[in-house]
Amino acid sequence: MLSIKNLYKSFGQPGGEVCVLDGLSFTMQAASSVALLGESGSGKSTLLHLIAGLDKSQSGDIEFSGKQLSTLNESALANMRRHQISLVFQQFHLISTLSVFDNIRFQAALCQRFDNAFETQLIDRLGLSSLLKKLPHQLSRGQQQRVAIARALLHKPKLVLADEPTGNLDEQSSLEVMAVFTDLVKSAGSSLLMVTHSKEMATFMQRSVLLHNGRLSDI
Amino acid sequence: MKQAILKALLSHYWRHPWQALFLLLGLTAGVGLWSAVQIINHHAEVSYAQADSLLGVQANYWIRNRSEQGIAQADYIELRRAGFRQIFPVIEGQVITPDGQLISIIATDLLALRQSMPEETVDQTFNGIDNWLQLVQKPYRAWVPQQLADEFALIQGDQLQLRDGRQLPPALIQAQTQQGRRIFMDISAAFTLFDTDQFNYITVGQLTTEQFDLLTSLLPDSLALVQNQQQLDLSELTQSLHTHLSAMSLLSFAVGLFIVFNAVRFSLWHRRETLMNLRLMGVSVKALISAILFETLIWSLIGTVSGVICGLTIGNWLLPGLSQSLFNLYGATIDAVIALQSETLLLAWGITLVGLLWALAWPMYLQLKHDVLDANSPTLRHQAENSSRQQLALFSLPLLIMAFILFQTMETAVAGFALLGLLLFAAAWLLPTLLALGLKFAQACVPKQRLIGRWMVSDGWSQMPAFRSAMMALLLAMTANLGVGTLVDSFRSAFIGWLEVRQNADIYVNSSQSNIVQLLESEQAPGKTSLWLADSHRQIGITTRWQDQPTLVNGADTRAPDSLRFPLAQWLGDTPDDALALWRDNSNYILANEQLHYLGGLKLGQTIQLDTDQGPVDYQVVGFFYDYGNPKFQFYLSYEEVAKRWKYHYSRGTALWLKPDSTSNGPSSRQQAEKSFLANGINRADWISQDEIRTLSVNIFERTFAITAAMNSLTLIVAAIALLASLLAIMQERLPEFAQWRALGVNTREQFLIICSPLLIFVVIAWLLAIPLGAVLSWLLIQKLNIVSFGWSMPMLWKMAPAWQLGGLVLVIVIVTLLLSLLQLRRRLPDALAELGELS
Ligand SMILES: Nc1ncnc2c1ncn2[C@@H]1O[C@H](COP(=O)(O)OP(=O)(O)OP(=O)(O)O)[C@@H](O)[C@H]1O
Ligand SMILES: [Mg+2]
Repeated sequence: MLSIKNLYKSFGQPGGEVCVLDGLSFTMQAASSVALLGESGSGKSTLLHLIAGLDKSQSGDIEFSGKQLSTLNESALANMRRHQISLVFQQFHLISTLSVFDNIRFQAALCQRFDNAFETQLIDRLGLSSLLKKLPHQLSRGQQQRVAIARALLHKPKLVLADEPTGNLDEQSSLEVMAVFTDLVKSAGSSLLMVTHSKEMATFMQRSVLLHNGRLSDI
Repeated sequence: MKQAILKALLSHYWRHPWQALFLLLGLTAGVGLWSAVQIINHHAEVSYAQADSLLGVQANYWIRNRSEQGIAQADYIELRRAGFRQIFPVIEGQVITPDGQLISIIATDLLALRQSMPEETVDQTFNGIDNWLQLVQKPYRAWVPQQLADEFALIQGDQLQLRDGRQLPPALIQAQTQQGRRIFMDISAAFTLFDTDQFNYITVGQLTTEQFDLLTSLLPDSLALVQNQQQLDLSELTQSLHTHLSAMSLLSFAVGLFIVFNAVRFSLWHRRETLMNLRLMGVSVKALISAILFETLIWSLIGTVSGVICGLTIGNWLLPGLSQSLFNLYGATIDAVIALQSETLLLAWGITLVGLLWALAWPMYLQLKHDVLDANSPTLRHQAENSSRQQLALFSLPLLIMAFILFQTMETAVAGFALLGLLLFAAAWLLPTLLALGLKFAQACVPKQRLIGRWMVSDGWSQMPAFRSAMMALLLAMTANLGVGTLVDSFRSAFIGWLEVRQNADIYVNSSQSNIVQLLESEQAPGKTSLWLADSHRQIGITTRWQDQPTLVNGADTRAPDSLRFPLAQWLGDTPDDALALWRDNSNYILANEQLHYLGGLKLGQTIQLDTDQGPVDYQVVGFFYDYGNPKFQFYLSYEEVAKRWKYHYSRGTALWLKPDSTSNGPSSRQQAEKSFLANGINRADWISQDEIRTLSVNIFERTFAITAAMNSLTLIVAAIALLASLLAIMQERLPEFAQWRALGVNTREQFLIICSPLLIFVVIAWLLAIPLGAVLSWLLIQKLNIVSFGWSMPMLWKMAPAWQLGGLVLVIVIVTLLLSLLQLRRRLPDALAELGELS
């Protein structure tokens, strides 16, 4: 479903070119889950951005769902994200002018894919049923993150890319959220590629990989 | 420490040069427009003070013919022989260019003038003329101010062609003080040009008491020595126009301040963290306040300097328009070169400082007062936005009440403009609440299931804070545009309609000589049927002062066609015709212009007393007539009455109605009339046809309002800048958010729509509000302000077409600013996408 070959990415910085990804290759099966580990600054977020088509690599191929990303233009990339990829970030703006309920449905509305039963399941499992009418700024950060997760999953994307989704929650609630999250990803039938710093989080996943010196290796 | 705080605060502007630019732009635009008007108003005042001088020679008195018949050269020579060196003969006249522009000519004895001047004045006046003798020798020179030369594309030595085929002497292009739009020449050149051998009047410089007595005793009976009161009259008469301009400039300043507000809002948003960190680091509130004050001071200095520089430029640009208006309305001339007064500079700095304290220092102080940690909370921000909206709406109430009280008591133009200001600001402060209501309404209109549609509309809540001040600026600019536009349109239509009634004769003959009288007598001799003349109307008049204001008393032929259709605004009796019949049949009834009613306080039916040669005589006012464009008081009596009461009356010209052309192929009535004129020694320059005089009048009208139009477009441009500033600020502030949306798969089209839709809703609401507000503004301008300032009443002519046009124009402005800001977004989005997900 996702196959990356020989990916090369560097950034021009004041001190000169910094090579972040150096010939990275990686494949991922449908409905699988992978934890992406690595030191800070090793390029984890960069890799996620490249997969989501938010940034461009200097060379190498990313093939997602049978399509070469490098051949897609801006609107085709937007369309791909809209229907098949969800992103969950540590810092994720909900739409401040829409209610929690509307926020949950937002991406599903964009791609016109609704599953009412799954929606009920998401709301129940994430404990959002009493919050539906509220506006995002009335929620705590943890609650906001759970809304973001519901939004990312409702339309059942092929791939969920998560970048330290529980990074700003305390340990206890992190673990709780993570358990529900991975479970729901499974119910949605999506694949999950998640950046995390914690080995403990990685145990929720089927496979763990380490990003080091611009390449990936299984651990 | 202090330095570190300042550096921390000010570094914001390095990182966001756009915002510094907009802050500067807002200040410059506001201060610039304000000071431009201040500078030219002051400039005009200085010019009025010199209004009694000609080519640097003071004219304290005038010698005039009591019946305005002109002064014979012999009389002048006599006086000079008696030793008067401070008297100069003047010929004043007007000529018309082929495209119907009126130019004033003023001529004097340059030789005598030069001899009487002190050395420095000679150098100053004749500076740069290599051979000044060419001025007084054939073919003479026409001394043309630079501005007129540019207008008519004249270069040194060109001879300006006139409508009737005459030519002015070769041009000598050089500006003189007090020249205004007039062309100077030597008296001999004017004799040829106007085909006359008489002077219009003689100006008289300083006189000792003995000289005064001697001069009075030397003057023949038909001549009078009158004191020159022009300076007094001019400052009195033009006051209203200057008040109008000042009011418009204050409006521009307010609109400029909105840009500042906007830039400040953005800078606060960006610096809240800096402020918070500084406080967490233990910097005292007091130190922060002094830093903020220091920042305000710096900006006020920068803003004043750049604003005043810009004001000088705008002033120079507006000056031709103003001098046109002043000349057309009041016959006042002002200098072509403006200078900056130190008091203007100080005043400009003062208002900039006050404006900045209000727009920059106060909001920063409020931000400081919030709890240290809470300043950043979105919930608080949300609440602050709501409550500031409500506060503004609440503040607008006392403004409205004050406006209402002023409305009841208003008597001066200044009070009138204060009322307009209160009203406009009340409306501007109500606008955010209206925008909020409009947004709620729009949200209710989108069906529940259309989530994406609802999102686009609801995003307006996030854009509201950024657009608030820009929308207020836009509202003010649009309202002013519609209000002033309607005023000008109403005036134009009333004026043209009035011209049609007042100037409905076919030809006007200005010749004051007796030849027109002879011609008429022969054409209208009993038993003779004229081939071309249907009717005629000869008017006479005298100038006097009433309530110490220059006043004209006209004598009209009460049975002439135009007297029968006198356009009355108010009258005694049931119909205007009743009042006119009274006036016609009774020599102690008088007609007065509206100015006498509104400015002079005259009432219908009131009895007034005029000083005549036979002592005071009582007249009863039976009607007030429209007298547009005239700053002076004017009465109408019958011809016979004026001729009987005042010995030295003068001719006010003769109106002629032609017979319809006969069907046979002979010469037209007009051709026959013109033939008879020439045969009777009436020059081509002495008559003017109806078409020509209408074109002339309409030209004058359009030029008079040129400055208003210019101020109107400038204000709109400032509002457009405010809009652009807001949009760019939104692009900057919300970039991370926009990037997140792109990550969710929102495409370019949807992104565009979401930025556009709320903006369009806001603009439409502001536009919808501007329409009734513009109508109210124009109603106040027409029915109240115009009357207290000029004494002219007119029906208000409200049309929707200008509102639609303005809407179209604003739409174009919105589209252009949107495109500019979207370009900015496009440039910056890739970086924002790459930074997505990081904690800011
Ligand atoms: N837009 C950019 N411009 C320049 N350099 C960049 C940019 N984005 C990332 N980098 C550099 O690329 C490297 C990888 O960054 P990345 O954000 O992918 O690391 P990360 O593994 O996600 O780290 P962390 O665990 O701290 O989030 C870093 O050295 C960073 O400085
Ligand atoms: Mg990262």
